[in-house]
Amino acid sequence: MGLVGFSLLLFIYYTLWVIVLPFVDSDHVIHGYFLPREYSVILPGIAALLLVLFVGTFIAVVMWKNRKPKKTQ
Amino acid sequence: MTKLMEWLSGLTVLGVLWATVTFDLLGLDPPEAVLQVSWPLPVFLLVALGCFSLGTVGYRVATFNDCQTAAAELQEQIREAKTELQRKGLRF
Repeated sequence: MGLVGFSLLLFIYYTLWVIVLPFVDSDHVIHGYFLPREYSVILPGIAALLLVLFVGTFIAVVMWKNRKPKKTQ
Repeated sequence: MTKLMEWLSGLTVLGVLWATVTFDLLGLDPPEAVLQVSWPLPVFLLVALGCFSLGTVGYRVATFNDCQTAAAELQEQIREAKTELQRKGLRF
């Protein structure tokens, strides 16, 4: 259930950031709770990169541990 | 047309629409707020899809019923599989 709550929170924050904030006056106090808009693309990009790196590293480690030495004649 | 072609054409059409709005290719001059919503839109849809998937997985895991006999059987099978694979040389 924690996962559901976390993903809901993330969705609401991100939706506010990308969809709602451009229609709010630039001197409204809510803008202080959100980073500049560039980060709304950069941060998910970094998260996706980290995920791919993690999965790739995991596969590499498991495959490395299971390499068989070459048989000598 | 194969499914792949269908998906690619659909994505291309949406991509062209997005590029037209974001980079103002037709000279329509959309208002500033529309531009600010439009350019992160692909990333936003991906993040929304990710959140939805995460939430669905979390919900289904949380509401899944316990099956005692199946759980015991599965753990026995895991033990068997581990010993078998270790015999064959796979290291965990």
